[in-house]
Amino acid sequence: MLFEIAWFEIRYWLRSWMLWIFTLIIATMIFGAVGTDFIVVGSALTNTYHNAPYVIENYYTFIGLLTLLMVTAFVNSAASRDFSHNTYQIIFSTPLKRRDFILGRFLGSALVSVIPMAGVSIGILLAKYMPWVDPERWGPVVWSAHLKGLLVFAVPNTFFIAAILFTIALLARNDVVAFIGGILLLTGYIVSEVFTRDLERETLAAILDPFAIRTFGLLTKYWTVAEKNTVTVGFTGLLLWNRLLWIAVGIGVLAFGYFRFSFAERARKSKAAAEEPSAPAAAAAFPSFELRQDNWTKLLASVRIHFLGILKSTVFIIILIAALLNCVPSVIFNAREGYGNATLPVTYWILDVIASTLYLFVLIIITYYAGVLVWKDRDNRVDEITDSLPAPEWVSFLSRFIALGAMVMIIQFLALLSGIIVQAVYGYHRFQFGLYLSQMFGRDLLLFIMFGALAFFIHALAPNKYVGYFSYVAFAIGNVFIWRPLNISTNLMQFGATPQVVHSDLFDDAPYISAWRWYALYWAFFCALLAVATVIFWPRGRQLSWRERWRNAGLRFHGLWPALTAVCLLLFVSAGAWIYYNTKILNRSMGPKDRLRLQAEYEKKYKSFDSLPMPRVRSIKYDIDLLPETRNAFLRGEEVIYNPYSDPLREIHFSLDRLYEVDIDIPGASLVKDDKDLSYRVYHFSEPLAPGQSLTFHFTVKSRNRGFENSVSNVNIVQNGTFFNSTVGPVIGYASDREINDPIERKKYGLGEQQLMPALERNCSEHCRDNYLKGHSDWIDVETVISTSPDQIAIAPGSLVREWKENGRRYFDYKLDHSSLNFFSFLSARYAVQREDWNGIKLEVYYDPDHAWNVPRMMNSLKKSLGYYTANFGPYYQKEARIIEFPRVDSFAQAFAGTMPYSESIGFIANLNHPDDIDMVYYVVAHEMGHQWWAHQVVGANMQGATLLSETMAQYSALMVMEKEYGRDMMRKFLKYEMDNYLRSRGQERLKERPLLTVEAEQGYIHYRKGSAVLYYLKEMIGEDKVNAALRKMIERYAYAQPPYPTSWDLIDAFREQIPAQYQYLVKDLFEDITLFSNRTLEATAHKRNDGKYDVTIAVESHKFKADPKGNETEVPVDDWVDIGAFAKPEKDRKYGKTLHRELVHVTQAHSTYTFVTDELPDKAGIDPFLLLIDRVPDDNVKKVTLAATSSTATD
Amino acid sequence: MLAIQNLTKTYPNGVKALYGVSLTIPEGMYGLLGPNGAGKTSLMRTVATLQEPDAGTIRLGEIDVLRQKDEVRRRLGYLPQDFGVYPRISAQDMLSHIALLKGITSSGERKDVVEAMLRRCNLYDVRKKSLTTFSGGMRQRFGIAQALIGNPQLLIVDEPTAGLDPGERNRFYNLLAEVGENVVVILSTHIVEDVMDMCSRMAIIHLGKVLFEGQPADAIAQLRDRVWRRSIAKSELPDYEQRYQVISSKLAAGRPVLHILCAQTPGDGFLPASPDLEDVFFTKIRGWN
Repeated sequence: MLFEIAWFEIRYWLRSWMLWIFTLIIATMIFGAVGTDFIVVGSALTNTYHNAPYVIENYYTFIGLLTLLMVTAFVNSAASRDFSHNTYQIIFSTPLKRRDFILGRFLGSALVSVIPMAGVSIGILLAKYMPWVDPERWGPVVWSAHLKGLLVFAVPNTFFIAAILFTIALLARNDVVAFIGGILLLTGYIVSEVFTRDLERETLAAILDPFAIRTFGLLTKYWTVAEKNTVTVGFTGLLLWNRLLWIAVGIGVLAFGYFRFSFAERARKSKAAAEEPSAPAAAAAFPSFELRQDNWTKLLASVRIHFLGILKSTVFIIILIAALLNCVPSVIFNAREGYGNATLPVTYWILDVIASTLYLFVLIIITYYAGVLVWKDRDNRVDEITDSLPAPEWVSFLSRFIALGAMVMIIQFLALLSGIIVQAVYGYHRFQFGLYLSQMFGRDLLLFIMFGALAFFIHALAPNKYVGYFSYVAFAIGNVFIWRPLNISTNLMQFGATPQVVHSDLFDDAPYISAWRWYALYWAFFCALLAVATVIFWPRGRQLSWRERWRNAGLRFHGLWPALTAVCLLLFVSAGAWIYYNTKILNRSMGPKDRLRLQAEYEKKYKSFDSLPMPRVRSIKYDIDLLPETRNAFLRGEEVIYNPYSDPLREIHFSLDRLYEVDIDIPGASLVKDDKDLSYRVYHFSEPLAPGQSLTFHFTVKSRNRGFENSVSNVNIVQNGTFFNSTVGPVIGYASDREINDPIERKKYGLGEQQLMPALERNCSEHCRDNYLKGHSDWIDVETVISTSPDQIAIAPGSLVREWKENGRRYFDYKLDHSSLNFFSFLSARYAVQREDWNGIKLEVYYDPDHAWNVPRMMNSLKKSLGYYTANFGPYYQKEARIIEFPRVDSFAQAFAGTMPYSESIGFIANLNHPDDIDMVYYVVAHEMGHQWWAHQVVGANMQGATLLSETMAQYSALMVMEKEYGRDMMRKFLKYEMDNYLRSRGQERLKERPLLTVEAEQGYIHYRKGSAVLYYLKEMIGEDKVNAALRKMIERYAYAQPPYPTSWDLIDAFREQIPAQYQYLVKDLFEDITLFSNRTLEATAHKRNDGKYDVTIAVESHKFKADPKGNETEVPVDDWVDIGAFAKPEKDRKYGKTLHRELVHVTQAHSTYTFVTDELPDKAGIDPFLLLIDRVPDDNVKKVTLAATSSTATD
Repeated sequence: MLAIQNLTKTYPNGVKALYGVSLTIPEGMYGLLGPNGAGKTSLMRTVATLQEPDAGTIRLGEIDVLRQKDEVRRRLGYLPQDFGVYPRISAQDMLSHIALLKGITSSGERKDVVEAMLRRCNLYDVRKKSLTTFSGGMRQRFGIAQALIGNPQLLIVDEPTAGLDPGERNRFYNLLAEVGENVVVILSTHIVEDVMDMCSRMAIIHLGKVLFEGQPADAIAQLRDRVWRRSIAKSELPDYEQRYQVISSKLAAGRPVLHILCAQTPGDGFLPASPDLEDVFFTKIRGWN
């Protein structure tokens, strides 16, 4: 009987729409998340296979949150259906056993609730076979991962949730209570997330997580790509206990519900939904009325009916809550994300979070409800009544359309509200309501409206609802994916496409908005035509054949309709023509593949010239006119080149920037090759350039901003916030940074594996001629006259010599104080400036007047950095140090000589109110200042390991400035994040992980993250003085030195000289190999001594591994000097307690025990407590100390 | 007055629903009698602007029904044979919405009209209940209410008494009789008494063709002295059906009572019967004259 009831329940749901809609939603979401790049579910995908076991199981953990309310819908209905439909008297009068009834209904509905979760597998399995996906990102189908995802996560999670909600529904017998229960469960979970976020309590949090999301996260925290791609998590360890715990809780809850439920007591007579009235009505005089066919009143009333109809439907409420659930927590938790550190919750960031977490749901709602609304009357068989009412078709269409639009706006409004509340709660009061409105209720809403219009049109024409849904979804998917393979990028073809708009507080949306407006107009009128067609063909009555539909359409198409159609058509065509003129005739537009094809051709044709000797640059004089109003720049250059080689040079080659028109005038040289497509030129000297001979030539560079483009190609020259660098001018020789980096794209274009950097050589001369910035130049002199509009400040390299006004424009003359690398930037904006003087050096921060928050910190960091570096490394040769804000078209900070452009979206919006946070602003400035020595004085030769000399040294420099400012104890937090980042990133390496010695220029996680950890550890081991002595030696020998340039060996040799004999092994471990530790404290106990101090004993375990470039690890014997120590309990609101003991011990075996004495009772103790070694699991290094009963207390 | 001329309709699957139907329907109650599948509903839908004929014309006074659909709809009350309701909406809200779409745009007037109509259709007590919870009879009463609201000049009711108990049915006909004096009312039914009781004129329609049009009394008069009845044993029925033109056989006290059509006295124990409309109906659809 039990199974019959369960089976009956299952069949009931299998026939229902709701089940399949939910399944479809989940499958679509996951399909989108793994099959495309622009949908995010949970967290974004990493470099694993998109169908890696890790990805599958991860989605199965996460999806439980989204399906929670779906489960509510199923089990609530199963538990209370008989009450809400008044059939309970029939059901309960049959001789059903209580057990069978309860358990049968529960089992059936719980099993059905698992089905939508299987959408995860459906989505992932399907996405693999889509034509557009990149096969290299997809591994083989691992069925065991799907199975385990279902069995380990989906089924137990559902069981637990279903047990609670079923019990609530059973006892409350009220739909609303059950849904509130579901929502409370979710809220509770999310709130608990806040309390368990702290890393220290990870294991407890993992056990207590009913969805096992944290459990899975903890188990897989440091998995490498190889592990993520192959290993599945089953019922093991922590996860087994977690699952058992929550299944037991589920059973307990269910048992409670089972015993509380009683047929007889609770089956009280509830009121019939609608009873037959008995009294016949008295025939009263009928009130009089007037008939007025006012269509606007009818429209308004119809909007209301359809709007409430959607609002009250269970499916809508569930999708809405799932949408907000994916969105609002993201807004809450990501609003202030950063470097373990906070940024201000700025509006454009909140908008990004909302778009990536909410809008898929909005599109699903549009898709689903467009069908529901068009077919509403026919599905409910009300059509014969409503179709014969005197309301025009446009009222039927428009009322539904507006109702759907209003629904979308409500969802958007809720998200907007959450954004503003989150900003307010976080104390950020710069609400940009205008930006919220123009983005969400302007650009985003327009897109939704357009897709709504399309969906209505398709459904109005479709012979039935399913054909309608299928056609719309097929069109929408095709519309996204078909254009790229066809190499069509114009927004004129892709339905609803408009150019991307980036908001910056410096220029708002000025560079983007006019193009957007024209495309928006174009598509809006197209959709207006669709809407007219929808009205004309609106289904009404029994129209069985297209002949009848056309006849009806003919009857309807009179009066204003032809005029309206003509106007829309005219405007649509005119907008299209104007766009065509601007994007195709005034500007060149490229297909998406054209750019890659050009890059590939450039490499194939000219790579062979890379090693060709070319004249080298000696000095450049720039004369630049910036015209911010028209987004144009005009640049004249006078460049001196010379021949440093022993043979005469016959040719000079240039790589040009495609976005600019370049003219080059070289006296005595003729243009022999002018490859306009690939922007490459070869000039032949009629008289070869003799060894040592120099030559001056002139060039002009013009930006070409005319009309508007399909997408803005040049974001460097803008109305406010221009930032371009010297590479806009002619670059001598082949530019390898224009090559395609992506190995998959390279393969497609028939290019071999990219030669990242030449192999490292020791004691090289010939191959060390070029530094890693290349460009056929060494240290050059630069002078610039730059003009801009009168309200802006223009900045060029060097000291400001003169400033004047002329012809209503503002002119600046800059001159470099010391010859520098050929890599300069030019900027112009309406800046506020803060200036200070430090020992004759001008310190300047140029910033947007609205972004003053962190300027004092920047200034402080500039001063402290200069102080530390001049004292420990060597003199600073520039006369100024400037930080300059630039718009968020990019997000980095970059060091040019004396000039450090710093993106609006980092640093300037950092939020540093919490004392335990890492001061990222301070740190980045110190890093960029570090580059003034490490890169702009000592620069590595162009080969592997070059960035060890620049990036890693800048990291070390910044760490030391940080340590001086914040103390040695605060470094722990910083190092932990560096280490976490390194360990996670090495798991995502697609090529080879290199040791520091041979790090590639692109491997930021090695030269930044690992570099920080390694150098800091080295400094802890041999002392700051010795490290700095080695660095000083490098500066003395290589600062501004002519080629050959130094390599990473030179630095390592300098360290080796400073390292004491017992630590010499470190050179190999830290720089030449990839070395990892697994240190763990097994036990930590304290005994109180008679003198009031404590004997602390720790039992520790140490393992050491060497990894190969693919991440395979081999254990090696431990023979290392490692810290042991103990900490006091942290003060209130602080993260770290006082250090009670710190001692360096020589660890030579896997298991050791150490004892030491502390003055106070320690809170925690363990091995490598400051996280100096690279440790696969850093969190278990220290352990809570247990106070053992001592002999003295025993005798008391 | 509603004038239907030569209305023809063949469905894409080949079924001929209407075949040259011409009717002239004056103000007052007009009965449309025919068995299921006779083409009644096709005819009514066409008049109610919901369906296109292949050929023919319909005029409502000066209005060309097939072209001036909106003009027709402004004057129309239509109760479909089979209809559903929106989910999650109360009887009062739905009726009020329909009243508004019919043109009662003043909210004060509409409120009174809706309330009066709910009372009249005996739905006032359940006006706040969701329509989906209504029983068949209640739903039918709601259908009547929505058709009557707005004082239609052309009222089309398709099988209106299905699902109503006798008391309800009487009340409904009283309602109809009240409104039906000055407007065109087309009542489609397969129940003969309904027409007999209510309609001054009628048409019998079968397989898309009009078999009779006129006053019910005239139809009955045609059969005067030609209908005979007799009670027989059940087993004799096939035999009688062979020998006579059997109009109908109904059970009375458990035995079949035959009505037969016969111009002369049939003898054989048959007694004369006074013909009724039902006899007319069956005679017509069997094609006897």
